[in-house]
Amino acid sequence: MKNKRWFPIAYMFVVTACFSAVIIGFAQMTEKQVKANDARAFEVAVLKVLPGLYDPNAGAVELHQRFVEQVSKPTDETAGAYTLEQDGKIAAYALPFSGQGFWAPIDGVIGIEPDKKTITNIVIYQQRETPGLGAEVAQRQFCDQFIDLTMTAGAKPVEFRRPGEPLSSGQVHAVTGATQTSIRLEKIINDALNRWRSKTK
Amino acid sequence: MKAQTKQLINDGLWTNNPIYIQVLGICSTLAVTNLVLNTVVMCTALVFTLSLSSLTVSLLRMFTPRNIRMMVETLIIAFYVIIVDVLLKAYWPQMSENLGPYVGLIITNCIVMGRCEACGISNPPGKAFLDGLFNALGYTYILLMVATFREILGMGTFLGFAVPYFSSEYWDKWIIMVMPPGAFFMLAIVTWVFRSIQMSREENKK
Repeated sequence: MKNKRWFPIAYMFVVTACFSAVIIGFAQMTEKQVKANDARAFEVAVLKVLPGLYDPNAGAVELHQRFVEQVSKPTDETAGAYTLEQDGKIAAYALPFSGQGFWAPIDGVIGIEPDKKTITNIVIYQQRETPGLGAEVAQRQFCDQFIDLTMTAGAKPVEFRRPGEPLSSGQVHAVTGATQTSIRLEKIINDALNRWRSKTK
Repeated sequence: MKAQTKQLINDGLWTNNPIYIQVLGICSTLAVTNLVLNTVVMCTALVFTLSLSSLTVSLLRMFTPRNIRMMVETLIIAFYVIIVDVLLKAYWPQMSENLGPYVGLIITNCIVMGRCEACGISNPPGKAFLDGLFNALGYTYILLMVATFREILGMGTFLGFAVPYFSSEYWDKWIIMVMPPGAFFMLAIVTWVFRSIQMSREENKK
């Protein structure tokens, strides 16, 4: 049988089917856990962009507690943004954004002040861009550029400029060597901000 | 059997060490050795993958047609690597993020394919398993050595704990050690030292 021409093909099919079945089983077993981890990553990202909520020393349970107790869920009025309320007034918005990056979807959260013009912070909690190049967008070095950045009123609230170019308000430096990721991320962020601005006004 | 086991241990850890003699799997050596903890997890994953895929390749060797053996080997390796990846994603997401794509890249780690081809495909399961295990351990101790030096010199810590003197102000941290170039320096030094020891031993035997 082993000398038959069809044998290698049939053998490959059988072996692949067996191993795939085990892996599918494994993936389903851990699916719930992975989803919980993703939800937690999102909650932490929201806490990080809202002022005064995130504590790097706090445990997972405490952070979840804070998210549940202090962060208000999005309403029609906030157009999809989570909010932090203090004394009955909105103290900050946390707007989730997501879109297609170069390799896989990029998910993040932008923190915005009540004036709806100043960005407090940005956190990218899910991305699979090229390590060392596009993946740098999730690093603090890149994201710190958004802290206290004033959005412009035009079609591009935030603009990415080439590294090294002089910046004016609403502009940040893109990541060197990651043109595709930068172009896409700029679009994702601006689309989210424009959509949000048109709905909240 | 006893002598054979001894030979396998000696080969994997010393005379035919995958890192400084076979020079396989250098990509991951350079990438994950900036922190000891990352290295420990990566090496554990490799020990698991290498020993079990070598064993599985050996178990299937009687049935696997020769012309498609590489495909089957890659499939088996990918199978174990995906299991490690899924487990890390579910139960240790922080580590999964730290290691990034390198867990998935164990599939292309030359040591695994190399050992499956060199030993797994032509030897009984017991021998294949031990060969895989000790080659992985040979890889592990070299990586741990590289990682220990890099973390202490570059960050002043070991497994995240501050090391006296190196974490104090008297020690000017060698940031380059935790950056990619540091890995090249350390790996070159380790290879040099170990090969020199081995060569001088052989000289003495003569």
